[in-house]
Amino acid sequence: MAQDVGGARRAVFAPVDTRARVDTVVRRLSDAIELGLLADGEQLPGESDLAAQLGVSTVTLREALMALRQQGLVTTRRGRGGGSFVTLPDAPAADRLHALLAAWSTDELRDLGDHWAAVSGAAARLAAQRTEPGDLRQLHRTLDELGEAADPPARSRMLGRFHVELAAAAQSARLTREAVGIQTDVGALLCLVLDRGLEEIRNRHRSVISAVQDGAHEQARALAEQCAEESVARLIGLRLAPPGTGGR
Amino acid sequence: MGSSHPSAGGAADTPAEATAADVAARVRDTLEVVFEAVAETLADTTAVLTAAADRGTPPTTGDLAALRPGLEHRLGRLGLVSGIGFVAAPGLLADVPAWLEWWQSGADGTVRPLLLDLDPGHSAYSDYTHWDWYALPRDTGLRAVAGPYVDYLCSDEYSLTLSAPVTVGGAFAGVAAADVYLSHFEAAVMPVLRELPGPACLVNARGRVAVSTDTRYLAGSLLRGPDFAAVLTGPDGAADHYGARLRACGSIPIVLATAPAG
Repeated sequence: MAQDVGGARRAVFAPVDTRARVDTVVRRLSDAIELGLLADGEQLPGESDLAAQLGVSTVTLREALMALRQQGLVTTRRGRGGGSFVTLPDAPAADRLHALLAAWSTDELRDLGDHWAAVSGAAARLAAQRTEPGDLRQLHRTLDELGEAADPPARSRMLGRFHVELAAAAQSARLTREAVGIQTDVGALLCLVLDRGLEEIRNRHRSVISAVQDGAHEQARALAEQCAEESVARLIGLRLAPPGTGGR
Repeated sequence: MGSSHPSAGGAADTPAEATAADVAARVRDTLEVVFEAVAETLADTTAVLTAAADRGTPPTTGDLAALRPGLEHRLGRLGLVSGIGFVAAPGLLADVPAWLEWWQSGADGTVRPLLLDLDPGHSAYSDYTHWDWYALPRDTGLRAVAGPYVDYLCSDEYSLTLSAPVTVGGAFAGVAAADVYLSHFEAAVMPVLRELPGPACLVNARGRVAVSTDTRYLAGSLLRGPDFAAVLTGPDGAADHYGARLRACGSIPIVLATAPAG
């Protein structure tokens, strides 16, 4: 048994070679979790190790981990003793997402929002100093695609991409890495609150682009902070809603 | 760095002052070495795609596997280059909608393929056709220096990407390209920049600073005012702007900006 499981476990972490790599990684890891090859509470290897073992880029791996979090199959803890941990499913996927949110205390959510606002606010301020018009096309395109996205997970991916692109427009590799890390945390949760008010979100984000384009540093920062704070406020509102109300 | 140069000019032990022309030539030479690797990749790719056209069937990812030995060799040969390959135009290949035949050298010296998810149903980063390293050669038909930019797609590093358009039978088929991390580029050209008598910047065609010895203008900042693209396309590849001297680095789309001496 132990040997069989060992062989199967090695196969779990063998390189993937098909085109839809995010999906392949998600399916392989989720199958391994459902089958018990990966145990409840088990820690996954670090992002760069896991990406190398699976033969995928870190971008792909992060998107796969985000999808697994959205399914409630992986939880991520930050800080000392942190990492990505396997969570055995005991409820349907939609309920797992609510369970994922319930695992965050409101002060942790507030802190997540503070971190996000700090990173995106700083990114917007620097981008306003360092951006030329050509750099903003991609941000506009992302908001267009956010409007066209079919479901909350796809919207969450686009919203995340906006904040990563904003940090890249600031010309900061460190802020960009921070933005990517924040989106892996918040991306799964945001699925819960991106079923409504999308126009408001897009308008708010569009105003960030305008301020960046105008070189209005402080305004760009304030608006980007509001984008993060408002999104997290929605999460906290849902977290505090009485059980059974669906957060409305 | 495998491609680092000895101290500039080859002149003996005296720390002679370099002229702006010397520095521009050295920067040109440093990047021409990278463009040679791009040109080799372009030639290999063109051969593979032409063979497929002669065969009468569309090329596949299997055909592009023939590029790998050359790509690995170039990565091993050029310390300045951290990633190299061919990026196919969407729709070029018969077996996939889009493809990067892209290889990277890690910090430990190992060479690995970059494997991205190119399915828009799963990845928010599946469309690569808007990046400058792809769009500039496609739209101009010319080789390009993209960046400096934060490459969150391939490396998470602040980088330059040098690229050139691949055409088969007159049709755009994709780009051959190579990545140079900005920290490596700075290490390669900073020694010679420091031989100038005053502060200087290397600036891309859009005015973004790549390397600078002027603490007022750091890498990533924008120099607003001068038309750098006009310097690059102008007849003598040089111009003055409020006392600053702007000089193209040969036919490389990078401008050396120097303050007036004294």
